[in-house]
Amino acid sequence: MKNNIRIERAIKDITQADLAGLIGVSRQTINTIESNRYVPSTVLALKIARVFGKPVEEIFMLDETD
Amino acid sequence: MSKILDICKISFTFGQPNLTIMKTRFLFPYWCRFLGYALFLIHIPVLLLRKVLGFDVPGQDISDGIFSSHHLFFMTTTLLMAIGLFLAAFSKEKIEDEQISQLRLDSLQWAIYVNYVLLVVSLILSNDTQHILFLNLLVPLVFFIIRFQWKLYQNNRMLRKDENLR
Repeated sequence: MKNNIRIERAIKDITQADLAGLIGVSRQTINTIESNRYVPSTVLALKIARVFGKPVEEIFMLDETD
Repeated sequence: MSKILDICKISFTFGQPNLTIMKTRFLFPYWCRFLGYALFLIHIPVLLLRKVLGFDVPGQDISDGIFSSHHLFFMTTTLLMAIGLFLAAFSKEKIEDEQISQLRLDSLQWAIYVNYVLLVVSLILSNDTQHILFLNLLVPLVFFIIRFQWKLYQNNRMLRKDENLR
């Protein structure tokens, strides 16, 4: 699974720590998601999408291997 | 009918306002980690004292019942070690979230694998059941703690690297 949290963060001009604080997880978790080392649960994905005000599909996409 | 369903819903969700609480029900508070490490550290001098006082000489004082000095010393050191490791292994992180639970589960799986391999190998190669039992008490928790903390350290290092890039 791919994601463009990094880009969305840049648009909204917030840091990983800000995003982590907004959805109540650790900075490490945001970092592992951004670098594709961890696939978030549906709940967490929906929370991230809500912060950016976009549907989940615009932030998380399937890639060829999924 | 819908009223009954509502009542069911209420009674099932009562006391569990969100998922994170449910997930971390079986973990000790954060400070228990330090208590755990302290107990483990305390067990080392007691163990050394046991060796120095010579309670470990084979054949001596064994099978004298629960209150023999040999057994009391053995119980003290083993309990200190086991409880210490247990608290250190199963206490919460500062921020407890789903990624940490995933890491914890992965590490537990690895610990069980390693323990089983060691157990089978030691059962094949030796018949010293007392030491095998002791190893079995120690290995899963120690391996779990090391693997879990190593992964946390790796995550922290990558986070720092990432922050330095910007």
